[in-house]
Amino acid sequence: MFGGSSSGAAGSNPASSSSRFSIPAITSSSLSTGNTTSVPSPTAQGSKRQSSYLSSQLNNLALGGGAGAAAITPPLTSIVDRPVNRMRGAEVGMGAWAFLYSAIVAHSQSRVESIVDLEKRLASLGREAGQRIIALQLLRNAQTANLKDPKREHRLIPILQYIHTQIYRYCFGKAADGLEKSVDGDDEYMLTSNQPPLTQHISLPRDLSQLSCEAFTAGLVEGVLDGLEVPARVTAHTVPTDQYPNRTVILIKLDQVVMDREAGLGK
Amino acid sequence: MTVYGVWVINKAGGLIFQRNYGGIKPLTPRSGLLCFLTSVRSLSAHCNEPVTTISDGIAQLSANEYLVMAGTLHGVHAITSRIAPVAKSSGVQIIESESFKMTIHMTLTGIKFVLISSTDMSNAESVLQKVYEAYADAVMKNPFYTLEMPINATGFDARMNAIVAASGT
Repeated sequence: MFGGSSSGAAGSNPASSSSRFSIPAITSSSLSTGNTTSVPSPTAQGSKRQSSYLSSQLNNLALGGGAGAAAITPPLTSIVDRPVNRMRGAEVGMGAWAFLYSAIVAHSQSRVESIVDLEKRLASLGREAGQRIIALQLLRNAQTANLKDPKREHRLIPILQYIHTQIYRYCFGKAADGLEKSVDGDDEYMLTSNQPPLTQHISLPRDLSQLSCEAFTAGLVEGVLDGLEVPARVTAHTVPTDQYPNRTVILIKLDQVVMDREAGLGK
Repeated sequence: MTVYGVWVINKAGGLIFQRNYGGIKPLTPRSGLLCFLTSVRSLSAHCNEPVTTISDGIAQLSANEYLVMAGTLHGVHAITSRIAPVAKSSGVQIIESESFKMTIHMTLTGIKFVLISSTDMSNAESVLQKVYEAYADAVMKNPFYTLEMPINATGFDARMNAIVAASGT
């Protein structure tokens, strides 16, 4: 789907601009089908792309030899050219993610003084991701509902449940294993993951045992909450059990503003 | 079908991982004290301490001895791949003795995984493939690992224990 080699080939070709122009037509057509019908299967999408690409090539051949040569370059598929509602086949491989995150942690580690700073850096990256994820999810929800009656959670408990199921399933492929209210206070909630997939391959050295690389997830949740107008301070803590040595609790401490608003809205 | 030990040798010939796994009991009768020592040893998780004592499977040697043996094996591997009558030989893959065999798997990047097992180990190659997989996952995807350095990841140890436990059945 990413087509790294194809886009590279197109970039190296001096006449790639003509193939670039042919793409908006393809994506807009597939976008409109995505709205009216359910998500098309990858093969159907591929054949559609292929056929429209072939037809543009035929047009170019009819127009002249020079333009025909340019049409041989495969179509560019950058992230903004892809239909926004198509999620199947657009997943990122776990291996690729693991190597990327490993490089992120190693890079961040060389630029910080303490474990707290490192967690802050990872959390700020997660926040950036979370803000984009909630924006994209809300847009998708609105578009699958055909732009009629776009729905957004506004009460605290449905928001937390939305993160627990929807957001976690979108990010990690499965819902979180638990959503609990803290016994310490009314403004604290906990999201539990028994085996967090993002950091499943990371083993901490002894001198960094206090670190939780799931700080990224905490930042992500904070970003999502922020996008839903729920300011909170979110931290990640590793709470191992015998069965799950990487069990992680995402602790959400809500801002007083949220508690006041909830009290104002009533039951 | 018993795994006695696993070594990982980096491309320079340095030993970066070595574990002994408890196998069959030695045939020679042992004194009470020695049995006690053995049971204490198998309880403790650190099998790679430079102490010369008997583990359940093969003899536990000092860290230095293991380093020397790994270096020697690295040399032997280089010799066997050079003297082979064909070009680009993979080098020695199995060394078999009367009581055990050594299966060597070298990756394209030059890392050698060595499995020391009983002679009837028929699935040694596939076990090594799983070890390679665990290495790729738990070591290479770990941001706190420095290339070519000894492996101290708890995740890798856990994966290794699972592989060894599953290999005997």
